Amino acid sequence: MNDRITTPYEGRPAVWDDDAVIDAPLRLHHTTAPPEWMDYNDHMSESCFLLAFGDNADAFFRFLGIDEAYRAAGHSLYTSETHLHHRLEVALGEPLVMTLQVLDHDDRRLHLFHEMRHGESDVLIASAEQLLVHVDTEAGRSADLPEQLRTRLDAIAAAHAALPRPDVVGRPMGIRRRHGQDGQDG
Amino acid sequence: MAMAEPAVEAEDGAPFTAYREPVRREWLDYNGHLNDASYALVFSAAHELVLEHLGLSAAYRESHQASMFTVETHIRFLAECSDGQTLTASTILVDADDKRLRLYSELYADGVLAATGESLYVHVDTTAGRSAVLPDDRRTRVEAMREAHAEQPRPPHLGLGVGSRP
Repeated sequence: MNDRITTPYEGRPAVWDDDAVIDAPLRLHHTTAPPEWMDYNDHMSESCFLLAFGDNADAFFRFLGIDEAYRAAGHSLYTSETHLHHRLEVALGEPLVMTLQVLDHDDRRLHLFHEMRHGESDVLIASAEQLLVHVDTEAGRSADLPEQLRTRLDAIAAAHAALPRPDVVGRPMGIRRRHGQDGQDG
Repeated sequence: MAMAEPAVEAEDGAPFTAYREPVRREWLDYNGHLNDASYALVFSAAHELVLEHLGLSAAYRESHQASMFTVETHIRFLAECSDGQTLTASTILVDADDKRLRLYSELYADGVLAATGESLYVHVDTTAGRSAVLPDDRRTRVEAMREAHAEQPRPPHLGLGVGSRP
């Protein structure tokens, strides 16, 4: 066990290529469900889904230009909200492929949507909708993104503009009572 | 985690506040703060205590081949948490029907509100692999807690989608 949580991308410098084609959605991270993510039942523990989405977010940060050097200079992206939808369980060793879609952004906020799919069947396993805010870490408050990152986000958002908006985005949580409904939310 | 079935007449304290844990080093990330996934871990553990209180935790899974599955979780991150702090949670059973539960928790670090977490659970027959109605005795416990929590104030952000403000 590590003495803290790490991501597979830590220490890897950000690399942005102005001329590269931007995937829609982005496909920056895939993994295989490891033993340490399993519960006693050999299914992936609930919180480990967020570890996987966190690794996907870190891959995206480095794609965008946010790495250790960027953070050391005093700014970072913090998560302000995450909404997870669980559809299927994950068993030990299953291949997981992650996608990431930029839904919206402004001067300092980012609205992202992640999907986790099975690496062979491509079936949707889980999704995460996230709101992130760019912060001045020393001042401890939100701060505008630098021009360069804004330009890159504009380019990613333009590439993602034609993607359909996932139906769960912005949807409030609740027990929806429909007559005769059997309660299958997932 | 304790596996014992709770007494049926257990007190339905409102809100439910059994969770209390110090921040663990292995929950922290590169900057020494609680990682996003660790908030999820803590909410999951706090909610597991509620499920245990309702007789719907590990022992139930074994005896009934049925279990509560998490369908959705919505976390709002409000403050950083670090090593040395003690985490506590305050949970209300917001809503329930014959197979679903909705829990809402406020997570405190040394008494300061650090995050809110809302989860929707569905009761699943693990043999059939599909949702199923709760047995009557568990339904009675759920109803008792729902009634005990009915007078608890509902925060304005409850049930809102990501990015929505009350």
